[in-house]
Amino acid sequence: MNAAKVVRRNVTVFWRAWRFSFFLSVLSPVMFLSAMGLGLGSMVSETDAFGGVDYVDFFATGMLAATCMQAGVFNATYPIMMKMMWQRNYEAMLASPLEVRDIFLGELASIGLMLAQVAVPFAGVMALFGVFDSPMAILAIPVAVLLGLACASVIMAFTATLQTDEAYTWLFRFVVTPLFLLSGTFFPIDELPLWGKVVAQATPLYHGVELVRQLAIYELEASALWHLGYLLVMLGIGTALGMRNLERRLVP
Amino acid sequence: MSSPPGSDALIEARSLTKRFDQLMAVDSVDFDVRRGEAFGFLGPNGAGKTSTMRMIGCTSPLTAGSLRVIGMDPVTQSSEIKARIGVVPQMDNLDIELTVRENLEMYARYFDVPRDIAGPRIDELIEFVQLTEKAKSKVEPLSGGMKRRLTIARALVNEPELLLLDEPTTGLDPQARHLVWDRLYRLKQRGVTLVITTHYMDEAEQLCDRLVVMDNAKIVTEGSPRDLIARHSTREVLELRLSDDERGRLKEWVDGISDRVEWLPDRVLLYTSSGDEALATIHERGIETETALVRRASLEDVFLTITGRSLVE
Repeated sequence: MNAAKVVRRNVTVFWRAWRFSFFLSVLSPVMFLSAMGLGLGSMVSETDAFGGVDYVDFFATGMLAATCMQAGVFNATYPIMMKMMWQRNYEAMLASPLEVRDIFLGELASIGLMLAQVAVPFAGVMALFGVFDSPMAILAIPVAVLLGLACASVIMAFTATLQTDEAYTWLFRFVVTPLFLLSGTFFPIDELPLWGKVVAQATPLYHGVELVRQLAIYELEASALWHLGYLLVMLGIGTALGMRNLERRLVP
Repeated sequence: MSSPPGSDALIEARSLTKRFDQLMAVDSVDFDVRRGEAFGFLGPNGAGKTSTMRMIGCTSPLTAGSLRVIGMDPVTQSSEIKARIGVVPQMDNLDIELTVRENLEMYARYFDVPRDIAGPRIDELIEFVQLTEKAKSKVEPLSGGMKRRLTIARALVNEPELLLLDEPTTGLDPQARHLVWDRLYRLKQRGVTLVITTHYMDEAEQLCDRLVVMDNAKIVTEGSPRDLIARHSTREVLELRLSDDERGRLKEWVDGISDRVEWLPDRVLLYTSSGDEALATIHERGIETETALVRRASLEDVFLTITGRSLVE
């Protein structure tokens, strides 16, 4: 399995910084859940809008999904561009028996591992904050990872077409940040005007957030299949498009 | 893999063509590279050398024509071909976060070299490229020459029978260049077939048994360095620097003393079988030269003769 060699390479490079990275993966949810969940949440007495759960539960589940989306997107931007253009690692890989699909799938799998390394500590902190009551909640971790991967695959397809990194400033400012703020992470999208609701429902983050919440703090509904389907289809399209674009880029 | 009977060609290109949108990068070239030889692609930047190398290295599909590498088809058998060749790219693409040794270990894994074989082989390669003291050093702080040598060692980790080198010494200082040449020469002695692109004449003369000269996506001539010099130049070249007045005087009767003359902006080159005689004649006629140098003809002169342009501007 040639893609595993790419994962191996990434893990070797990543391993040097794992302590720091793990520290951040724990610190970040502790800070967010303390400040936003408990701090802000203590002033939120109206829990009907959050389906009868505490604000910290509502916020933490949304934040788990949003964090994985951000990490997935980020890891499909500069780190990939670095290996594609600046350090030309892919050129070196392609001079060995590895092919473009091995590189793409290996990178995607590496991002999956990295996302797990974000999501697991995050969920651990959530457990300490008493967010979960059912064992089903553990499934929120793979769902958050899937969300991050679906976003990463599409952004990798985008990265493969870029000649400079200028577009990333726009991507983070006008796509990622609005998604982060308006896809139901901080407040239910029911509070948005109708058009806002429609837009929010089209975004991957909304589906990821909904599915995480159904598994972790609400009851599982039939709509879970639709949310899961959305993320899987997005990952499939991103992967097909990404492999095609990277092939055009690296093997002109 | 079996080659056709009587043929020992490791690479066979027929009407090989590469086009990018409007740009014709390689325009229907034919060449054979024989097992065990050092074969060069010589030409200025943009001549099509790198595109040709990338097609041989299976990282660029051909637009038209045919290409066989070690008897295989680069489009359908790219992994199999790549397993048996080594590539030294124009720009180093090492893993700068890893150490010298780790770079080689990682690359050996890409080629599925078993661990117990990879270990001793890597030790040997590190010694071969004279990086033993740097084995545990990260790549980033290494000098350009050391990085180049590491890239060469990396390309040898699968014990390739064919090594592709795209401008192996561009950007290196003279000492570092000679060290690289020395290592490449040793590889050739061990029977590794070398394919080298360069825009340096001295490199081509040093390393190549046979070469093709490329210009504007086409092969303009081919042969051994000595052959090409014999065919397209005279034995010696007289290089003169002189004032504009003296240039004018020389022009009037120079035809009698030289086979051919190139009037470059800063120099005049006289192609002749005897540079000393030509210089003596010039001095007899009372022309004053600022500097005069008699030298052996080089591939530079071949390129100038064929294309009318000098190779490195």
